[in-house]
Amino acid sequence: MKHALLSRVSLIYSLSVRNLWRQRRRNTILLVSVICAITGVVVLNSLIRGMQLQMVDQVVYNLNGHITLHAPDYRSDPAITRGFIADSNELERKLESVNLSGWATRIKIPAVVMSERETRGVQIVGLDPVQEHISIVADLPIEGTFLVDSADNRIVLGRALLTQLRTKIGHRIVLVMQDINSKSIEVGFQIAGAYDSDSEGMEKHVVFVGKDALQQFLGSESITELSLRFNTRLIPPNGLETISNAFPNLEVVDWKNIDPILAFMYESVNAMVYVWLAIVFTALVFGLMNSFITAVLERTQEIGLCKSMGMKSSLVLYQVVTESLIIMFLGLIGGLLLSWGVLQLLGDGIDLSAFAAGVEMLNLAPRIRPAVVWQDINIVIVATVFLALVASLYPAIRAVRLDPLVALRD
Amino acid sequence: MTSRVWSLFALGLLLMNIDVVHADDTSLTAEELVGKVLDQTRGLTSYSELTMTVNRPEWTRSSSFTVWTRGREDALIRFTAPPRDVGNATLKKGDQMWTFSPKIKRTVRLPRSMMSQGWAGSDFSYNDLARSDTLLQHYELAIVEDQLDGNQTIYTIEAVPLENAPVVWGKEVLKLRDDYVLLEHSFYDQDLKLVKWIETQEITTFDGRPIPKKLRMKNTDDEEKWTEVEYTHAEFDVELDDNKFTLFSLRDSN
Repeated sequence: MKHALLSRVSLIYSLSVRNLWRQRRRNTILLVSVICAITGVVVLNSLIRGMQLQMVDQVVYNLNGHITLHAPDYRSDPAITRGFIADSNELERKLESVNLSGWATRIKIPAVVMSERETRGVQIVGLDPVQEHISIVADLPIEGTFLVDSADNRIVLGRALLTQLRTKIGHRIVLVMQDINSKSIEVGFQIAGAYDSDSEGMEKHVVFVGKDALQQFLGSESITELSLRFNTRLIPPNGLETISNAFPNLEVVDWKNIDPILAFMYESVNAMVYVWLAIVFTALVFGLMNSFITAVLERTQEIGLCKSMGMKSSLVLYQVVTESLIIMFLGLIGGLLLSWGVLQLLGDGIDLSAFAAGVEMLNLAPRIRPAVVWQDINIVIVATVFLALVASLYPAIRAVRLDPLVALRD
Repeated sequence: MTSRVWSLFALGLLLMNIDVVHADDTSLTAEELVGKVLDQTRGLTSYSELTMTVNRPEWTRSSSFTVWTRGREDALIRFTAPPRDVGNATLKKGDQMWTFSPKIKRTVRLPRSMMSQGWAGSDFSYNDLARSDTLLQHYELAIVEDQLDGNQTIYTIEAVPLENAPVVWGKEVLKLRDDYVLLEHSFYDQDLKLVKWIETQEITTFDGRPIPKKLRMKNTDDEEKWTEVEYTHAEFDVELDDNKFTLFSLRDSN
């Protein structure tokens, strides 16, 4: 029985291969078009996914982390009075079991910065430089020096702000902010250094000071946020829940809530990817179907002959379907190999720095690095096989329905 | 006008009135000079009428207002001219400020972010009005020069901010007459370049006290930009209602 099945399969296979081989030129063109379609889909998909993940990276990296924890009322009025006390030993213990690349405790409060000639509104970020390997802070190019430690009572600001304030590194500026008693205080800071950033908005509005130093000025031991970064690019499936359970008294905000516009873009890219897949594959399916209908019509007499000699209808059907499967399978392998090659070439990413302003507006990185998402590749593989079946089914059924007498008479 | 300036000349007046120590004040240190002045102004009340001229290259605008002060912390300013500004008022209590406009019948507490903006379109910022005195607290003071001008001594006091003081200036230089009339107050940036200065252009006597009648604030960025404040009337140690410096009073244009 098993032997019979095997011989039947090998019969179908050799018949299909021979049929394909008879129309080498047409089938090669067909194969190439499948390869191109699959390569196109995979490469473009990787680029879109790369862009999408970079958008997420940007948010996560940009002093937010994947998850940020605040006191419940902080987000409606960011002030030190709405901070919370975080004991680092306790944090260590609670976060031990979570797969994090790091965490950072920060103070983020609004302030007004004054120089001799200008005044601007900014966001103060009080941080501990040791913890900031998880954020953009570690990689910002600095002129002058960065904060040495958490007790450093100097300030680091963006180059754009430095220019706006018409001041210099080494000079003193005054920050006006609200302390723990909601009283406004003025504190003088010496400028330690200036950073460059891809985002001019950040350069203009974000200033860094030592967390411990800031706490002293504010008269408080509190922080306003705990920022977590996972070891993965996205939040792992149960990550949010684990953190929420570990910190029941804090508001847990993931990056999607930190930047809802970006989250919306992220979700629409998801939809876009599938729409795009659907369009390409629909076009491909009709191309394939067309070729197979032609193939079947060409072989009308032959099929009629086989049938009149007793070939079973199912065998005819399988034969056509197998041809389609072979083409698609080869196309899939070729397409994936070619995509791999193209992605190797694009490994460094596509440089968008020529469109810097637009890129910044869309919160994109200046260089798009493709990212292969295996889930998408799986979809491509499954879709290809499925399409091979769909595309060949109609021509195969037509072949099956051929009346041998009519076929032979023509 | 800075409260500092106010205090200084208000104090000048006060001291004159109680017939101050002309003879032996040469022995005073800079801190004592400024400090005495500041200490003596506490509890002082005043009522004054002023006109302010804001000059810009394209236009000049004048307005008049009345000022009540109590100590160094409290002040109420109400505009009396031009007609479209009548009733506009600013209340300062401590380092907080509110404004009231009768047109919109609304009191607004000034957020910190607005405190650096020009007050009533002048070169004086809300901060200049609101800032409590910091000269003694955050500066190292030194008399760098005393010069005899007729029978009066003119002191030049240099105020250099202490390390990490909440002060943007590189230094401030005050010129004081020995009857405590402020003649000039200059602000230098941290490269010690002059940024802006207030100079007294006319001195007069009100209520028996010599005061700088006309002050002009100028800056080095633009010669054509200046603000001038002139006293038209001043009374000191006047009786003021306890509720003069309240939000209620701010709204009450009578």
